[in-house]
Amino acid sequence: MSAAALGDYLKSIKYHLRLSSSTEKDIISELSTHIDDSVEELKKGGLSEEEAQTTCLKLMGSAKRVAKQLCEAHSQGTWRQTLLAATPHLLFALLFALSWWPGIGWLLVCLTLIFGVAIYGWWQKRPNWFFSWMGYLLLPVLLAGLLLFYLPRGWAWVAIIFYIPVTAFLVYHVTVQTIRRDWLYSSLMMLPLPIVVAWFITVGSAGTSKVLNIEYIKYFGPWIGMSFLILAASVALFIRLRQRWLKIALLVISGLLTLSLVLYYAGGRLGIPAFAILAFIVMGLFITPAILEHRIRRNQA
Amino acid sequence: MTKSYELITSSTDSLLLCLLSEQPMYGYQIIKELKDRSQGYFNFKEGTLYPALHRMENARLVEGKWKTLPGGQQRKYYHISEKGLLSLVEKRDQWIGFLTAMNLIIQSDA
Repeated sequence: MSAAALGDYLKSIKYHLRLSSSTEKDIISELSTHIDDSVEELKKGGLSEEEAQTTCLKLMGSAKRVAKQLCEAHSQGTWRQTLLAATPHLLFALLFALSWWPGIGWLLVCLTLIFGVAIYGWWQKRPNWFFSWMGYLLLPVLLAGLLLFYLPRGWAWVAIIFYIPVTAFLVYHVTVQTIRRDWLYSSLMMLPLPIVVAWFITVGSAGTSKVLNIEYIKYFGPWIGMSFLILAASVALFIRLRQRWLKIALLVISGLLTLSLVLYYAGGRLGIPAFAILAFIVMGLFITPAILEHRIRRNQA
Repeated sequence: MTKSYELITSSTDSLLLCLLSEQPMYGYQIIKELKDRSQGYFNFKEGTLYPALHRMENARLVEGKWKTLPGGQQRKYYHISEKGLLSLVEKRDQWIGFLTAMNLIIQSDA
């Protein structure tokens, strides 16, 4: 046992923490001073430096367990953070449930708000409420891709050649930055995307997304609003929950439940194969970031 | 004496608020103080103490303040807040009421 072992112990705690960098720094600093105090006290009691360090680490317990308990202490957001995190979903729920979406003014207000709050959140070092806003900031990117279907055939190919690498770079960069904090936030951020695609397919004429049908959007408006409302409730609960496994279960259930709701109310306009692909994408939103985080952290370690 | 870990866990906040109402303390000091005063009964592990302190800090019951030591080391002292003091009064009342009621039954049995 050596001072290096104590350093490794603190590194291991940091590895298992999934908090903001400033909180992690504070925790490590506090535990480091605690270890120093404990080692000094044990040495005063007659132990050698090495024995004191070994005993100290034994008393501290498993680094993973300490980190998990500290994460749980920090994982419950305040009511203010809960409201902030649910707001973008609520905005979209209102937009469709109250049929505000045809008004360009409301749409612009929503988009400006999303853009402004997401930038503010990024500047504030990505607090827990930021990720649901960030997900909506990626929506125009996704919609731009879906709207490529409207372009004449030749132009569509040119656009796709530019669109795919730019989008892939943007989404990858944002996702990696999010995963560095916690892969679960990346899943939270991406969760509305398959739901939006499902509705896009549903309101497309003849069950495809080739042409958007305004009448269908009006018809499905309340159900579109309801699906965003479910997302808002899920995000609110996510911010308030402490246990990580409960957060994961909540997001998986919420994603699949909302998708099933789209399938049910789409009345055959969203086929079972499209539903299956989207459900697969929802599961991918959890598995891919988790694997990526594992790789990023392993490389950092 | 047999320990009830369930009782200890449920009393953690009250114990910490009570200690911090006397003076600001840092983590290691709290562990030692609790152990000494309870004659070894309350032997808090770091994995119990720090999550509890951080949870209480997020709930604004206590406030953590960093202090630089002469050697340049940083140490975080926890101070009880106004909200923490109010919570302590409430918890004390609850605890005294509970103890009185328990004693009435347990001692009458004895």
